[in-house]
Amino acid sequence: MVNLDDIKKEAHRILKEKKVKYIIGYTQGANGFPAVPVFIKNPEDADNLVWNPACIHNLTRFLRDEKKRRAREKHPDNRPVGIIVKGCDSRAINVLLQEKYIAREDVFVLGVSCEDTGVVDEKKLAKKLKGKKALCFDWDENRNLVVTTEDGKSTINADEVLAERCLECPAQSPVVYDILFGDKVKLSPEDRFKSVEKIENLSQKERWAFWKEQFDKCIRCYACRSVCPMCYCDECVVDTISFAVTADTTAEEKAQKIKWIDKSPVTSETYIYHMIRAIHLAGRCIDCGECERVCPLDIPIRFLNKKLEKEAKKLFDYEVGFDPDQLSLVSSFRDEDPEDFIR
Amino acid sequence: MAEEFEPKIVAFLCKWCSSAGSDLAGVSRMQYPSNVVPITVMCSGSVSPLYILNAFNKGADGVLVSGCHPGDCHYIKGNYYARRRIALVKELLEYSGLEPERFQMSWVSAAEGTKYTEIIKDFVKILKPLGPQEKLRRSQ
Repeated sequence: MVNLDDIKKEAHRILKEKKVKYIIGYTQGANGFPAVPVFIKNPEDADNLVWNPACIHNLTRFLRDEKKRRAREKHPDNRPVGIIVKGCDSRAINVLLQEKYIAREDVFVLGVSCEDTGVVDEKKLAKKLKGKKALCFDWDENRNLVVTTEDGKSTINADEVLAERCLECPAQSPVVYDILFGDKVKLSPEDRFKSVEKIENLSQKERWAFWKEQFDKCIRCYACRSVCPMCYCDECVVDTISFAVTADTTAEEKAQKIKWIDKSPVTSETYIYHMIRAIHLAGRCIDCGECERVCPLDIPIRFLNKKLEKEAKKLFDYEVGFDPDQLSLVSSFRDEDPEDFIR
Repeated sequence: MAEEFEPKIVAFLCKWCSSAGSDLAGVSRMQYPSNVVPITVMCSGSVSPLYILNAFNKGADGVLVSGCHPGDCHYIKGNYYARRRIALVKELLEYSGLEPERFQMSWVSAAEGTKYTEIIKDFVKILKPLGPQEKLRRSQ
């Protein structure tokens, strides 16, 4: 079992020894929110850290801000940043290392193992509690969630409240870390791509009807892009908005500012936005599910990423985020890559 | 009488093989449907998924990406990258509910003018019964 006191003690130690600049972790939120991200600079504040089944956020996203901040500073503090990661988040670190976006010495990874559970799905839990507010909850030894509400304690089986991605997770314990909390486990879920198959089994017409309904909901708030630890480009292809063409706009300028996608939320444009987002994350998405969590309209974005993860595994035997030294999916090839679809 | 539907095909042809192959078909006066709009790119590996999606977005009924045969790439391995990338795009388009027949890839060398005409003929034959592609087309 993960002992929160161990995490606090280590956090306190590395902050006191000035090994890290600050620690990105989770703390109790206001308004009864069980976990929100927190940045801890003072060793005394390490006591505020929490670890519970509501630590859903993928904190590696903040490494992007850190990198940008560092680039702006005149005399940057080049000590590493401490970061608390789950199994899935640690794979995000591996991808960032693989892409040389960050260096290994930039981060001090405090890996926390999910062991045989994971994080809860807020919606599933809310449904189970029927509107009651969870005051506190944690896993017990038998994979049950013990929830305390104002009516008292109740237990729920893990499989009923775990986030879908946790049920399909290939790495419950961190694959890259400096300190590990909890036990190293390697569970292999029966079917890692069960959720994708639900859509695959539909007919082509039904699939289009399903996705059209989903994409039509999109309001193009780009929350999915903002929250994604892999979407770190300074310039995004969807942002090429209209620009003034004057007499002295050169052909080069025009060529570089192609308006690929219209901003208006109509089916054709949102379709392209979501397709491009998915393709740009092919072989990079580690299925942390953040895009789906932040979507204000509940678009199942994860299904798109998961599909490409499945194809990468099936067609090219490519696993994301386990080896920081492997070549990326689209910048490598094998002689035996399938080509039966090519004439 | 209503006019028969004529599909519009956008073909991304690599400069070194497929484009030369289509030229060969032209100079040899081989007959093939005029439904195809050829766009020469430097390599099939340079075809971004955005090009494909945008072709559909701007009203293409079918998209063809064509490059050199494996091992023949002018840039040694561009078509291998293309093969991988296009496979992913194809899977994704199919998954999202687009008719999979609308998007094709082929290897056409500079000597294969006949093969090029065959591919276009077959593509048009497949696309005609599908009707116009309205799903991804930008509504004006």
